[in-house]
Amino acid sequence: MPRDADRILTTHVGSLVRPPKIVEYVDAMERGLAVDQAAFDELLQQSIDEVVRRQQQAGIDIVSDGEFGKFRSWNFYVLARLGGIEERAIVESQGGSRDRQLFPEFYAEYFPTQKLPKRGTVYTVGPVKYTGQAALKKDIDIFKKSLKGVDVEGFLPVVAPASAVPMFKNEYYKNEEEAIFAVAEALREEYKTIVDSGLYVQIDDAFLPYVYDLSFGSADLEGFRKWAQVRVDALNHALQGIPEEKVRYHICWGSFNTPHVGDVPLRDIVDLVTQVKAGAYCIEMGNPRHEHEWRVWETAKLPAGRKLVPGVISHSTNVVEHPELVAERLVRLAKIVGRENVLGGTDCGFAQSPHVRRVHPSIQWAKLEALAEGARIASRELWGRKAA
Amino acid sequence: MAKDAGRILTSHVGSLVRPDDLLAFIAKQQDGQPYDAKAYEDCLRRSVADVVKKQVGAGVDIVSDGEYGKSISWSRYILDRLSGFEERHDKTPGFKSAVAGKDRRDFAEFYEEYEANYGFVGMGKTFKTGSWFVTGPIKYTGQALIQRDIDDIKRGVAGSGATDAFMPLVAPASVVPQRTDEFYKSEEEALFAIADAVHEEYKAVIDAGLIAQIDDAFLASVYDVMVPPKTLAEYRKWAELRIEALNHALKGLPQDRTRYHICWGSWNGPHTNDVAFKDIADLVLRVNVGGYSLEMANPRHEHEWRVWETVKLPEGKYLLPGLVSHATNIVEHPELVAERIVRLAKLVGRERVVASTDCGFAQGPFARRVHPQIMWAKLRALAEGARIATKELWH
Repeated sequence: MPRDADRILTTHVGSLVRPPKIVEYVDAMERGLAVDQAAFDELLQQSIDEVVRRQQQAGIDIVSDGEFGKFRSWNFYVLARLGGIEERAIVESQGGSRDRQLFPEFYAEYFPTQKLPKRGTVYTVGPVKYTGQAALKKDIDIFKKSLKGVDVEGFLPVVAPASAVPMFKNEYYKNEEEAIFAVAEALREEYKTIVDSGLYVQIDDAFLPYVYDLSFGSADLEGFRKWAQVRVDALNHALQGIPEEKVRYHICWGSFNTPHVGDVPLRDIVDLVTQVKAGAYCIEMGNPRHEHEWRVWETAKLPAGRKLVPGVISHSTNVVEHPELVAERLVRLAKIVGRENVLGGTDCGFAQSPHVRRVHPSIQWAKLEALAEGARIASRELWGRKAA
Repeated sequence: MAKDAGRILTSHVGSLVRPDDLLAFIAKQQDGQPYDAKAYEDCLRRSVADVVKKQVGAGVDIVSDGEYGKSISWSRYILDRLSGFEERHDKTPGFKSAVAGKDRRDFAEFYEEYEANYGFVGMGKTFKTGSWFVTGPIKYTGQALIQRDIDDIKRGVAGSGATDAFMPLVAPASVVPQRTDEFYKSEEEALFAIADAVHEEYKAVIDAGLIAQIDDAFLASVYDVMVPPKTLAEYRKWAELRIEALNHALKGLPQDRTRYHICWGSWNGPHTNDVAFKDIADLVLRVNVGGYSLEMANPRHEHEWRVWETVKLPEGKYLLPGLVSHATNIVEHPELVAERIVRLAKLVGRERVVASTDCGFAQGPFARRVHPQIMWAKLRALAEGARIATKELWH
C-alpha cells in the first residue's frame, strides 16, 4: 500500500453504480445482441474518466475504475477469462444460506428485487488456463489513461480463486485441491499483469467467509476452516513473486442487505485471513453485524508491514454515516494497530454487478464524501492539528 | 421507571408491524368501506394480546400494544380523537412530503424513487396526505378509543410476564404541524389548546397504570425543513414554544410514568441535514418526563452517545438509547448492542439505561420499515445484548 502519509488515506472496495448508458450496453451484450463495440469502448473510457474524477472530488486517495468494464458480476466476470471450465445449470440467484432458512419469507420478498446475475455450477473439464489477456489489457489501459493527470493512485479489483469458482465440481484434476491450485495458477497472470502495470491489485474474496453460512455453519467450523485453508494456500500460490505492498485482500460476508445472523465471526477466521500475503486487508466493520469486530484486533496480530482498510461506511442503509462516526471508527482501530496502519474504506462495493445498485448513486457519493471527511477528522485527532 | 432493576431492562419505541387480518379491517376503515365493527374489535384485542406475548418471548421487558389501535399513523391517529380539525381534499395544495427540507432537495432523485416504491416517506402507498385546517375549538374526544386501547393492552399484559407496559402518544408539536388555522388567534393559542386536549389522553394512560410515551419526531425533524434559510437560533425558538406546550400537557403527571421519544424521521433516507443532538440536548432535557428515548443506532446519530460526556443527565432521569436500527435489514450483533449499552452506562450510570430501538418498526398501519421476521430478530438481538451488557456491568 502507499508509502506512509501523515494522515489517514481513503479508498473503497471497488464497484460503483454504473451510468445508465453502460447498463444498456451490458444488457444488450448479455442478451447476445450486436452492439457497436467501438462506441461502447469510447463510452467506457469517458465513463471511467468521469468516475475517477468524481472519486477524487469526493476525497478518495486510492480510486478504482468502478468495475465498469466487468460483465455479470465482481466474480463471475472471470469465467469468460478462463479456459478449461464449463458453467452448467445456470439459475436465478436466490441466496442459499442458513440465513435464508431462518428468514424464508423475507428472502422470498427480497431476492426478486435485487437484479442479481444468474449463476451456475462451474466444472473443471480440462487444464485451466487464463485466456482473458485482451479483456484485462483493455481494463488496465482504460483505467491508466483515466488516471493520467489526476493526483490519485489506482487499484483494480479482481477475483480470488475461492470466489472465482465457489461451488465448483472437478471433472479433470486428480482432486479438488489440485483443481483450485490450477485456478490460482491461471489467476496469477491477472494479478501479476495488474501489478506490473503499476496499479494496485485488490483480490476480492467474499465467498471465503460466505461459504461458512452457505455450506458449513457453526456446527462445522473445523470443516469450514479446512475448506478455507486450501483456498488461502491457493491464493498465496497465485501471489507468489508479486510484491506484497501492491496487493490488497478484501473479504466480506456477502453484500446482500439481509439479516446475516449466520455469518462466521471474524475471530474464527482472522488467522486465515492474515496468512494471505497482501499488504492490506479490507474488512467489513461498518454494518451492525460486524461493527463490534474492531475489538478482534485487540488480540489478533496484524503482521508487520501490513495494513487494515476497515469498512467504516455501509451500503446496507440509505442513512449517510456521520463523519464523526467515521472518525470514531478509524481512531479506535488506529489506537490498537497504529495510525500508520489504517486506511478508511467501505464495507463492500456499491454495485456488485452492472445491474445491482446497493444504494442510489447520490447516496453512494454522499457516503464516500462522509468517508473522506471522517478520515480528515481522524487524522487531526491522530496526528494533531497540522494534519491535512 | 425505574428503580435499579439489577440488570439492563429492555423496551422499544412502540409501533410494530401489523398482522394481515388486522390490516384488512384498517384498509376498509380508511377507504370508507363497510366492515364488521365487532369483528374488528375482536381482531384488534387478539392481535394486541398476541403481540404482547411475542414481545415477552423476544425478551422485551417494557412492552407496547404495537400501536395496533391507531389509525393513519403514529401522529395522525389523534385526528380521530380531537375536535376542531377538518381535512380538505380541495384545490388547496396539500403537502407532498413530511420531509420537504434540505435532505429532500439534496437527494431529490433518490426521494422520488424511494416514495414511488414505499409511499409517502415509507408510510405505505395508501397513506393519504390531505390538507388539515383548524376550524373550531380543539377538544379531546377520544375517551372511548383510548379506553379501548388501554383495556386491550392491560388484558394482553395480564399474566404475560411483561415487567411493565407503555402506550405511545403524540406530543403537541407533532399533531399535524402542517395545518392552516382558521380559528385560533395565534399559533401559541392553538398549541396550548392541543396541549390541554392531549393532556387528557396522557392522564388516562397513566391513571390506568401504564407508562405514557410522548412521541415527538417532528420536534427534531422540522429543523431540516426550516434550516436553511432559517437559522439554528430561529429553529430553537420554534422548538422552545413546543416544549413549553408539552410541559403544559404534562402538568401534574408523575415523571416516573412518562418518557419522551424524539427522532429525526424514520424514513430510510440520507438524513444529512439532521440537527445535531448536541444543539438541542438542553431543550430536550427541559421536557418534564422521566425517560428520554433517542436514536443512537443508525450511522447518522450513533456517535452522539458522546454528547453525554459533557451533557449532564439530571437526577432521577434515565435514557432509552436506540441500539438497533430499522434502516437496515442486517440484524445487529448482540455484542454490538452490549458495547453500545456499556459505553453509555459508563457515562450516565448503569441503572439509568434502558435498552431500546431508534424508532418504531411501523409508523403507520401500512408502513413496514423491515420485514416482521427481521423486526423480531432485532428485538431478540436487543435482549441478548442487554444480557451481555448486564453481565459486564453488574458481575
